[in-house]
This record gives sequence, C-alpha cells and structure tokens, in this order.
Amino acid sequence: MSATATNATNPRAAAQAAARSAVNWVVGMAIFLALWWLGGYFIGANPKTASFAGFGLIPTLEAFPALWQSGKLQAATLASGERLGAGMALAIAIGLPIGIIVGRSKFFRDLSNSGFQFVRMISPLSWTPIAVLVFSSWDGSIIFLVAIAAVWPVVFATAAGLAKVDPAWFKVARNLGANPVQMLNQIIMPAIAFDVFTGIRLALGVAWVVLVPAELLGVTSGLGYTIKDARETLSYDHLTAMVLTIGVIGYFLDSVCVGLIRRFSWHRGDA
Amino acid sequence: MGSRFAGLSYSASTFVAGLAILLGLWWFSTWALSLSPSTSQFASFGPGPAFKATWMMLENGHIQKAVWSSSYRLGAGLVIAIAVGVPIGILIGRSRRFRELSNSPFQLMRMISPLSWEPIAVIVFAGWDAAIIFLVAIAAVWPIMFATAAGLAKVDPSWFKVARNLGASPRQMVTEIIIPAIAFDVLTGIRLALGVAWMVLVPAEFLGVRSGLGYTIEDARESLEYDHLMAMLVVIGAMGYALDSACLTLIKRYSWHKQ
Amino acid sequence: MRRRRNGSEESQSPLVHVYGCHCSSCESMPGRDDPITRLFPRDPEVLEGKPDPRLALNHDERFSAILGTGVSRRDLLRAGSLAALGSLMPTGATFAQEKKFDPTVRIGYLPITDAAALLVAHEMGFFKKNGIESAPPTLIRGWSPLVEAFASHRFNLAHMLIPIPIWMRYNNKFPIKITAWNHTNGSGIIVHKDAGINTPKDFGGKQFAVPFWYSIHNIISQKIMRDAGITPVIKPQDAKLAPNECNFIVLQPPDMPPALAAKSIHGYCVAEPFNALGELRASGKMLRMTGDVWKGHPCCVVVMHEADTQDPARAQWAQSVHNAIVEAQIHLFENREAMADMLSKDGKNYLPFPKEVVRRAMMLYQIPYPGNPDAIKNKDWGADRINFQGWPYRSATELVVSDLKRTVITGDAAFLAKLEPKFVADDLVNYTFIKNALDRNPKWKNDRSVPSTGDPFTRKEIVSL
Repeated sequence: MSATATNATNPRAAAQAAARSAVNWVVGMAIFLALWWLGGYFIGANPKTASFAGFGLIPTLEAFPALWQSGKLQAATLASGERLGAGMALAIAIGLPIGIIVGRSKFFRDLSNSGFQFVRMISPLSWTPIAVLVFSSWDGSIIFLVAIAAVWPVVFATAAGLAKVDPAWFKVARNLGANPVQMLNQIIMPAIAFDVFTGIRLALGVAWVVLVPAELLGVTSGLGYTIKDARETLSYDHLTAMVLTIGVIGYFLDSVCVGLIRRFSWHRGDA
Repeated sequence: MGSRFAGLSYSASTFVAGLAILLGLWWFSTWALSLSPSTSQFASFGPGPAFKATWMMLENGHIQKAVWSSSYRLGAGLVIAIAVGVPIGILIGRSRRFRELSNSPFQLMRMISPLSWEPIAVIVFAGWDAAIIFLVAIAAVWPIMFATAAGLAKVDPSWFKVARNLGASPRQMVTEIIIPAIAFDVLTGIRLALGVAWMVLVPAEFLGVRSGLGYTIEDARESLEYDHLMAMLVVIGAMGYALDSACLTLIKRYSWHKQ
Repeated sequence: MRRRRNGSEESQSPLVHVYGCHCSSCESMPGRDDPITRLFPRDPEVLEGKPDPRLALNHDERFSAILGTGVSRRDLLRAGSLAALGSLMPTGATFAQEKKFDPTVRIGYLPITDAAALLVAHEMGFFKKNGIESAPPTLIRGWSPLVEAFASHRFNLAHMLIPIPIWMRYNNKFPIKITAWNHTNGSGIIVHKDAGINTPKDFGGKQFAVPFWYSIHNIISQKIMRDAGITPVIKPQDAKLAPNECNFIVLQPPDMPPALAAKSIHGYCVAEPFNALGELRASGKMLRMTGDVWKGHPCCVVVMHEADTQDPARAQWAQSVHNAIVEAQIHLFENREAMADMLSKDGKNYLPFPKEVVRRAMMLYQIPYPGNPDAIKNKDWGADRINFQGWPYRSATELVVSDLKRTVITGDAAFLAKLEPKFVADDLVNYTFIKNALDRNPKWKNDRSVPSTGDPFTRKEIVSL
C-alpha cells in the first residue's frame, strides 16, 4: 500500500487518513447493523415467520445481558477456546515440522504429495465416526477433528515459505559450518515466519468452521453446543447472540494473526 | 524429449507410490483397531471392505448419482460465490472508502461458521437445493472476495493512470487491465474457496435432499455400514483431489507473468 | 376483490371498504358499524358471523377473537408496506411462506421407525383413498431442521417428539397442535454387553446418552434412574461423579453405537431402529424396553399448524388426513413384516436400513427376551416392541408435562414451572379429528397398547420401574 509510505513522511495527512478510516469504520458498522435490523423487521412482520423474529438485531442484543449474567457466554467461550487452542497447537506442532521437511526434501515432497492432497480434501466432519471410535474422550474427538482440518494450511504454507528462501543462504550457512539446529533457528525460522503466520491465519479460519459442527459430539459445553441448544429450543435470539460472539472472537483472533504477519514482513518490502 | 518422458514417469511413479503408502497406513491402522475385541466389528473401516463397497456402489450407480448431485450444488454455489465475490473484491481493491466501510462487517461475517447459517437457510429458501447452495456460496464467497482484493492491491497503480490517460473506459479498464492482472490471485482464491466449499458441502447435505455425497455418507453412518462410509470418503478424497489439481493447473497457466 | 353476489348490481369496485369508509355505498348500508359487514357487507357467510376463508391475506384466529374479523387493519398496513418493500427485494420467492391453503399433504420425517404411520399412509395410498393428494415425504436428518421447516410452513404434517410441541407452543408461542399419536413404545435402553450393567443401579458414576434433551427418552431414562436411586446430572465428561450420579449427554443416534463400542458412553436410550442396530452391530444388550416401564407411553406425535385445525374450510381436509393415518396404523399392526420390508433399504428406502434391522426394530419382542430376560419384566402387559395407535390419552400428556418439570436439561425451562398439566392436555391437543377417525375404524382397538376393558379413550397411566 503505497499510500502509507507517503503518509509516513507527512504526519498531518496520516492523522487525517486515520480519522477518515475511523469514521468509515463506524459508518460501515452502522450500515451493517441497519441492514440486519431491516432483515429482522421483515421476519417479524410476516406473521408466518414471526416465530423467527429472534434473528433480528434488537432481540439478539437483548439476549446478551442474560447470557452474560448467567455465565453461559463466558463458560462457552472458555470451553471452545480450550478445544480450539489445543487443536491449533496440535496442528502447528505436527504441521510445522512436516512442512519444513516437505520444503527441504524434494524426495519427501514428491512422495507425500499425492497422499496428502487426497486426505486433505476429505471433509473433516466425515472423520466423525472414526474420531468417536478411537478417542474415548469427547474433547479428544473434537480436538482431533479441529487439528485434522487445521494441519493442512500450516503444512503447505510452511512448505511454500521454505520454497521462497534463497537456497544460497543454505549453502553459505553450511560453508560457515552451521549445524542443522543452527540452520533451523537462524535461517529457516526467521525466513518462513511470514508464511507460517499466514498459514496459521488460514488454519484458524478453517478451525472455526469445523468447531461448531464438531461440538455436536457428546459435550455439553462450548459455543457450538450452546448454539445447538438454542436452536433446539427455538431461542433464535440466543442463537444469533452466540453466532455473533463467534464472529467477534474470530475477528479478534484473525486481527492478531494479521498483526503478527505484518510484524514479520518488514523484510519483504511490501505489506 | 527423453528427459520429458523421464520427468513424467517420475511424477507418475511418485504419485502412485504416495498413494500406496497412504493405503498401507490405512490398512495398518484398521488392523490395529481390529485387535481390540470391543472395536473389532469396526474392522469394516479397512481398505479391503471399502474397495469392495466402492465397486458395488459404482455398479448400482449410487456413486455416480451422488457425484452428479453434489457437483451440481457445489458448482452452483461456486458460480454464485464468484459472481458476487469478484465484483465486490474489485470494489474493495479499487475504492479505499468502500474498503474501510465494509472491512469490519465482512470480517465479522467471514468468521461465522457457514453451518451457523443453516437455520436461516431453512427458513428463507423454499427449496432444499437452494438452501444447500446458499450455504456453499456463503462459505466460498469470502476467500474469493479477499483474494481478488489482494490481487488488485498488487497491481501497479500507475497502470491505471496510464490507461486513464490513454482514454480507457471503465469497462476497458476492467477487461484489459484488472482481469488479466488479478487472474492469478482470483484463481488462488477460487482454489481456497473450493477447499472450504468442499468441506461445507458434506454437512450441508444433511438437509432434506435425497441424493449427494453428504447424503450417502450420512446414510452409511446411520446404518453403521462403515465400508460404505469409507468408500464414500475415498470418492470424496479423489474428487476433491481432481478438482484441486484442475485449479492448480489453471493457476500455473496464469502465473507465467509472475516469474 | 369483490365478488358478485346473487345478481346484486353495485359496482365491481376493486377496493375494500375498510373501517371508517364514508363513501356513498357504505353510508347507505345497514349494519355499517358492525366490523364484519364493513369489510364484505354483501357476503352472506361473513354476515352470518363466519370468518371469511377466502381472504388471501391472513386468516388468524387470534385477531378474529379480538377484532371480530379475520383481517386486521394492522395486517393490511403490514401487507401494504411489505409489498412496497418487497418490490425492492430481488425475488419474491424468499421466505417460504404459505400464500394460500395448499391441500397437498407435505410430510417431513426423520429416518426412525417412529415415522412409520405417516410413511405408510402415503406409500400405501391411504391419503389418496381419502381424497387427499400427498407429496413424497421429505427426509430430514435432525429435529432442528425439521422444526424450522415445519415452522416456516414447508411441511403441513410432521411427527415430533412429544416434548417439542410443548416447547414450541408454550415457550415460543408458536401455534402448533398435537392432533394424534404416531405410535407408542418403540424405544429402549441399550448397554454394552461387557460393561457389567445389569440393573439401573449400575449406572452410578457412568455416562449415558440420549438423542435430544426434549425427548421421551430423556424423560423415561431419568425416571428409571431416579427410581433406582441414581441422580441424573449434566457435567463435563472428565468431572468427578459421585457414586450415585449418572452423567447425561446428547449424541446423535448414529454416533451412539460407536461411542458404546469405544466406551465413551456406557448406555443410551433412543428410538428404534438404533436399538436394533446397537444389538446387531455394536455388541449392545437391551437393558430394558421403555414400553415395559411405562405402559403404552407416547413418543412421537402427529403435529399440524393450529390454523389448519381450526379453519372450518379445512376441517374436511384435516379429517381425511386423520382417517388416512388411522387406517395406516391399523394396516401397520396387521402387516408388520411386510411394512418393515417396505420401509427398509431393500424396499422403498424410506429408512436407510437393511430389512433385518427394521424387522427386528418393529417385531422382536420375545418373552423371555434373548440376551437379557430382564429386558421385559411385565410379561402380562401385552405390549409390542412398537405399537401403532393414535389416541392421545390426556393422562399421558399430563404425566409428560409433570415429568418434564423434574427432568434435568440444559436450556431455559422457566416456562415449565408455570405450566399446568391439565391445561396443556386441553390446550395443546386437538381431539376432534382423531376421535372421528377412530370411531370410523373400530379395528384400532385391536392394537395391544389400547386398554381392552372399559372406555378405550381413557386410561390410568401405569409405570412400573
């Protein structure tokens, strides 16, 4: 974004741009909320769908205090957060090393490619019966489903990052007598940080998609479970409130990822 | 000429070898599962029963029917996602005001699990196919939108100035400048969208339809016919792999100018 | 919008003369201030006091009672504004709404044997015999989408677990009515053969699965446990359980047999044919048939929209529907094996299970029960694995409501505390159509879960744990 480069030299223009973007943020959200309110009004006004009025903006907002006070929101967020975190950690712990191997060794890459691509394209939720059979703990099954969805973006982004590294660096490092551990720490990790975080960002997006249906499995806590419960009691205001919560949390986590990506992209020259 | 042949046979043999390794791992894990007496009935997860079931289902046409129905829904959903996502992505890329206005609401909506839209899909759409296509589209539109925007951001703004100076109309700007420049990124976005849409299709097909890959999987799951289930997983994996490779080929074709 | 009535010669004005109209024809009319005549002063039926069934806009009982007319001014305003805004929307086919009464029966069902009566009524032509068109029933994979589709009028006839309409009507104020029972019995408790559970007391400290909190399976399982001194709780899987607590979770029926095999749960209670599947395919043992605990208990009920049950123009339609259902139920219990085969995957594939499974689910009720003689304790009750009779006994409805209050669930159940069982039995259930249908088909009494002595329409609930 070349605009930011010029603004760096002109603080007044930068402040104006920041103010303008803040105003636009507010206006954008306002339009979004207005459209939502309109949709809810339509649903409520039609007597045939009036029982679904809970989807509208006002009932949803009104549901938040009740959910907060009863502690449901916090408990659900905590439970889901734990599962998501564990799943992501597992995906990174497995995906990163495999991605590095895939990036470094052409032989491994060629051999594993067809197998990986095949398994990657199987919808994670199809693994449910296997997850139930293999894991005696429900949390384990859910974490497994999240991890199996999230590992692929990590693997391939890491490999892609490694592919962008100039092979001359490895030659130089080897000439200077670096051992494999030092190569890993000093060369590989800093070079691929940008791509790894991009991969983590994608993995997070996928993990969120999978978490909600995965939490249908035998647990009685979590955002996905609370959404299911609300749906079953036709409490659509609670449902939309929980869905909104997921959106907000996901947005927040995604912004954190973007921030990390920006921090590690200093050497890229572009943003 | 000889080296090209050698190259092709190398990639063919690694392709086969990779799948063979996968098959071996699959067989091994099922065998391990069958050792425990209480889970031994679930040995039907193994490759042998699965391939038998695949053959049987091919013979009685189940697989073909399921593939056809699911492809239709996937295709329709992707087409809608492209038709909506690319223009909006271009708008995001070109207009800073629009980007700042729409960024937060879009990011918020993007992070909502597509399957949470299910109740709304059921209520709003009169047909089940339409509801499923809606779910696929709403999952697929975000990667396309943002990839398009990202592609546009990489376009050198001076090109637009030059084009405007040369008197290009907006339509010409779109077809001559924007589309070729962003083709690479749009196709990457479509590839990502395909991955997400594929993931969403299977649970989305739990709604009131009587055909499709997700439907057949759920049928197999409900009657505990795990060999049929694994057969469907094989089909899904193969089909997804084929579609993804097609996208990859298209991307490579449009990336000549990136080198 | 006006219709010619008996050669009257007023103008064929397309306008509706609403309240406050002071045009010359309204001024000169007798009974001008009567709300009904103001709308359609020439229509003799409306003059008689009947609500106008041909009003395409909205027939709403609530408004009829309050304002004396089937159409309220608010509705006209709403319709007008909706039309104006609706013209801005891309297509008008959004919001699958009921525009006019469509006499085709549209059924939604879940792939469990509970749906048999509705499926048989369609497949064996009982609807057609009674002069009703029926569309092929739609398979739905979960209760929530079925409820949503029914609530948005995609279906006008469905089967639901009996607590669901209670929720819909009293918690969400949705105008739904129970009009008949689909079947009785048809559920059981399955445990793993080697889990060492032989009586309900053995569930202490264990995990138990039900398909849905608002289900008879949950109600009866918790009843059985409470009677054996076990307290049902809802806690995380790894929470410490007291020796007399049993942890309840919700699982989708297809996940129950694998979970049983993986020992993540120790038992489950669900509708057929998942009990049969558990027995045949997952080393399951039938601990107790629910029909052996609560004699002839309800499980799934037939539901319709309230408007369909109260609109006098649709009464004939609703009656024919119920005649068909009763005939289907009689056909079912007279031809179990043939119907089991028809419903199965080897037949018309309404239920995607092989015929051995469906046959077992609908027929196996040997005494002593193979594999566990304690599965059927009340040998003289004369029950079957699943029975098909449609009369919604008041006493059963009342017992369901009072039991629901004691059943542990998540979700907001505050409205339950104020619910009177007797009120629900009067308000939620419509007895008219099913009574007429049963009177026309006396063979219904041959089903073994109908009391054979005394009045077949009343009974005392017998629960023997």
